[in-house]
Amino acid sequence: MTYQHISFELKNDYIWIGLGLNEKKSMTTLTRESLDELSKIMAEVTEIDKKKGAKGLFFFSHKPGVFLAGMDISVINDLKNEADALRNLEVAHKLFNSVEDLKMPTASLVNGICLGGGLELSLCCKKIFVSDNPKTALALPEVMLGVLPGFGGTYRLPKKVGLPPALDMILTGKQIKGKNAFKMNLADAILPAERMLELAPQYLNKAKKKKSLKEELEKAAMENFLTRKIIFQKAREQVMKNTKGFYPAPLKILEVLEKGANKNRSDYLAMEAQAFAELSQSIQSKNLQHIFFLTDNSKKLENKDQLPSIHRGAVIGAGVMGGGIAWLFAQNNQAPLMKDITPAALELGLKQASANFAGALKKRKMTEDEFNRKMRSIEPTLTLEGMKSADLVIEAVVENMELKKKVFAELEQYVKPDCLLTSNTSSLSVEEMSKALKNPGRFAGLHFFNPVNKMPLVEIITHEKADPKTIQTLVKWVLDVKKTPIIVKDGPGFLVNRILAPYLNEAAFLLEEGVSVEALDEAALNFGMPMGPCRLMDEIGLDVCVKVGKIMQEGLGQRAIPSSLSTKLYDAKLLGKKNSKGFYLYDEKGKSTGKNPEISKIITSKRKHMDEMTIQMRLFLPMVNEAAYILSDKICDKAATVDVGMIYGTGFPPFKGGLLKWADQEGLESIVERLNNFAKEINQDRYQVSPFLSLMVSDKRKFYDL
Amino acid sequence: MKPVYLVDGKRTPSVKAGADLKEIAAPYLGHYLVRHLLDKHGLPSDQIDEVIVGNTGTPAKYPNVGRVIALEAGLDKKTSGYSVHRNCASGMEALSQAYDKIGSGRAHLVFAGGVENMTQMPLMFNKQMTEFFMEMMKAKTTAQKLKIVSSFRPNFLAPVIAIEQGLTDPFCGRNMGQTAETLARELNISRREQDEFANRSHHLAAAATKEGKFREEILPITAGHKLDKMIADDIGFRDNSTVEGLGKLKPYFEKETGTVTVGNACPITDGGSMWLLASEEAVKKYNLDPVAKLVDYHFHGLEPERMGLGPVLAIQGLLQRTGMTLDQIDLFEINEAFAAQVLGCLKVMKDKNLSSKWGINETMGDIPLEKLNVNGGGIALGHPVGSTGSRLVVTLAHELKRRKKKYGLASLCIGGGQGGAVLIENLKL
Repeated sequence: MTYQHISFELKNDYIWIGLGLNEKKSMTTLTRESLDELSKIMAEVTEIDKKKGAKGLFFFSHKPGVFLAGMDISVINDLKNEADALRNLEVAHKLFNSVEDLKMPTASLVNGICLGGGLELSLCCKKIFVSDNPKTALALPEVMLGVLPGFGGTYRLPKKVGLPPALDMILTGKQIKGKNAFKMNLADAILPAERMLELAPQYLNKAKKKKSLKEELEKAAMENFLTRKIIFQKAREQVMKNTKGFYPAPLKILEVLEKGANKNRSDYLAMEAQAFAELSQSIQSKNLQHIFFLTDNSKKLENKDQLPSIHRGAVIGAGVMGGGIAWLFAQNNQAPLMKDITPAALELGLKQASANFAGALKKRKMTEDEFNRKMRSIEPTLTLEGMKSADLVIEAVVENMELKKKVFAELEQYVKPDCLLTSNTSSLSVEEMSKALKNPGRFAGLHFFNPVNKMPLVEIITHEKADPKTIQTLVKWVLDVKKTPIIVKDGPGFLVNRILAPYLNEAAFLLEEGVSVEALDEAALNFGMPMGPCRLMDEIGLDVCVKVGKIMQEGLGQRAIPSSLSTKLYDAKLLGKKNSKGFYLYDEKGKSTGKNPEISKIITSKRKHMDEMTIQMRLFLPMVNEAAYILSDKICDKAATVDVGMIYGTGFPPFKGGLLKWADQEGLESIVERLNNFAKEINQDRYQVSPFLSLMVSDKRKFYDL
Repeated sequence: MKPVYLVDGKRTPSVKAGADLKEIAAPYLGHYLVRHLLDKHGLPSDQIDEVIVGNTGTPAKYPNVGRVIALEAGLDKKTSGYSVHRNCASGMEALSQAYDKIGSGRAHLVFAGGVENMTQMPLMFNKQMTEFFMEMMKAKTTAQKLKIVSSFRPNFLAPVIAIEQGLTDPFCGRNMGQTAETLARELNISRREQDEFANRSHHLAAAATKEGKFREEILPITAGHKLDKMIADDIGFRDNSTVEGLGKLKPYFEKETGTVTVGNACPITDGGSMWLLASEEAVKKYNLDPVAKLVDYHFHGLEPERMGLGPVLAIQGLLQRTGMTLDQIDLFEINEAFAAQVLGCLKVMKDKNLSSKWGINETMGDIPLEKLNVNGGGIALGHPVGSTGSRLVVTLAHELKRRKKKYGLASLCIGGGQGGAVLIENLKL
């Protein structure tokens, strides 16, 4: 019998099952059809096994670089309810058990990516061999989608590698490279990628490497009831610290593993399936799946291969952002030129880049030699002479329109004709800037967030005369350097800062009304934000807040009228982290050392208690309102773009699915009602409902229906 | 031979050993110069025919520095690269090979220069210790091992200092400093004369630095443990040097009666230099604007114990090859390995009797000090051995351009008993 997705062959007494046959997508995943085929194959295999008709069985992949990337997410997404999930899991368990129950020796030959269901299938084999291909990596990433490994991963992984490493993998979803998989006994051998299939039969019956005394003792200790209890307790504390309890999946995983200790296979798997079914229907998991698709879509780019690649980068201005951008180029082997006007200024950029590499060096993710090479690939220069080598120049000088225009006019005389020119401006008009150029078609805004090495989002800002190919090439580059792009139109604050502005502004008004710094930050944290608005203002710098506030008011009018508080702080020289005092105090390393008592002298209004829910609504509803303006102004094309921007640009809580997903779930009608109340009670201008939002409510539409 | 163009040349700051460049491995004293020149002249990275780099220390990690520099600079992997060693003239040897390759039409674009990190020249285990290790490895039984361990003596740990060995001539057994002492004695060059010459070097270098003359030839280098510092100027020369101060130093090589001190000899230094050379065809194709033409070169041997006079023979040979006379040359760079040795060269060149000792049957003439090492020399700027040969040409070409003079000659003495010289013609008149 022949199959569409999986090859099946009995050759020289061995059974070979090849995954990823005829696969056109970049990753092979398990689909309903391929699971169905595998079931049929396994039925044949079981018959052969009964007759002792083969010496062994191997799973391998036809697709280079991918063994099996787990279950197709859309299958999980399509599960209608818990019962539906359970039905599907039962079929899969039967299949996976049939692999595990084979009498003949079995091995999974992992050459490339092996995720989720791919690893769970491998765990059903008696042995796992990994290739020495650098792409080979194994992981159970289900937790990232708010679920748990549902095909017996939580049952079989601890048996293979021991409890603590299994917990680490299942709770974090992290990828284990081939070499480390062998070290931690997840893999039984490392084989050369090119000769894997040829060598596999020789290794199939090799005795397992003997455990050292230390490993034996560790194993004995792990099986001890008391040790297990301590391990789970520690893991639970860690999970609570990392997730603040916003995510149910990790806690559920701990529960399943702990309760399953003495259960037999079928009981355990039934429990695992039940947990999976529950989680798969939780709102958090739905939202995380939603984000998975959003992110996946933002990575799609048509005709990618026909667009030019960036080989050499350049950055003008070696400040914190310039140095960060130089780091990004260097990290991605695009040996950048870094230009500034004095050696001292260049040193600042080098410091920033070096600091960004320091973490990787310390964690040994990078050798001293690699550090040397990458750091030295940054070419500091005081002139524009070398710019003709650059394929992409990113300008990051101070935010001054005249200066930037001068830089671009000069730059244009040095670069080659097809070099892309971009500005990392966060607040100036890209449209206006483009006028400095003879060829504005190759120009666009390219807005990075600080710190460049940590923030995944890049806003690509278009303008009237921008060549679509320029924008597409920038999208490709942003993806190549492993960042997430969104395309937005020119306008005050572009997308992220424009939506963030009312949030920070409302925070300042709330402070003036007498709400405490702690109550405010606490409310935002409890909503799921990575940091509160006061701490965020300290990070951004109050000087920048004042500047951006003015720009917003100029561009957006009365609804963006800034609170006077940021100006008061600025006048009192409380600039935030950059001069070690803002709402909080900081030591010389930038670590927060507590509240700044000076704040109480500046905010003199009477302390007012406000319930957390009200604070949250006052912070987040104006953001939704502004997002509606952004959509009606056509700054971006759809709600998904807003959500990608807010999640990757501000850390908006992923389990809420993004700002507008959250708004849809809250209900637009109730949001408008609450905004109207605030408009009446607090301020007419700031809470004026956007006409677009009103229209959506009257049309009974949601953001994601647009 | 077809014409050979010196398109552009740059150097690192020269920094005394153990200071700011100490952590920079040899390849990184050159790769950034190559990349800068490539970027500046807008050349495609896959169009370079050869990278030739002079280096004497040959770091164990980088046996072929030239190839490493080609790769680290981002040149296409097909670019061939190699390293050359002609002791103190290695950088000049690199230029001469580029000259031959381009002149004969085999190559069109070549990077040639030199790099040396003298700080990183190693300390090695001595012979006894090496044998001790070997015996230990061979030993199988505990008794054998114990026997070998008991043979250990503390003096096994006395290191062999690579740099000290390298500066001692293996043929005549004399240290370079001792060869300078020989010249001082035989040619009657006093301690005072040497110190005055050394003092001149420091002040000229200090003045040139102060006027910013070196800004054009030095490309600032990324340095420091975290690679977040930029070094833009030479470090080592003394602007407060005096003849009296230099006079107080003890002779280093002949402690009692000698005249050569660390003050009138070149210091141990880290540095690199690099030239982009091109054929006429390449100049036209890439619209290059060369600064000078490499007219010719010459190397010549003599007795190792008088290696300091190498420039006399090299210059004489070069003038003969080119049919020119000493007075036609507008500017000279003669490496100051030792003041005694440079002064010795000048003395021999203008004295027929002395010249004849080395088979030169004419008076070559006088090199006036106004034309010699006008921005200081090795005594002030140091002598990173592998680099100096091309560094001299970098400095020479920049000064010729500034003065709008036509011919410049760079020469140096070479440990082991040789001299090297190149003649360049300034195209920026």
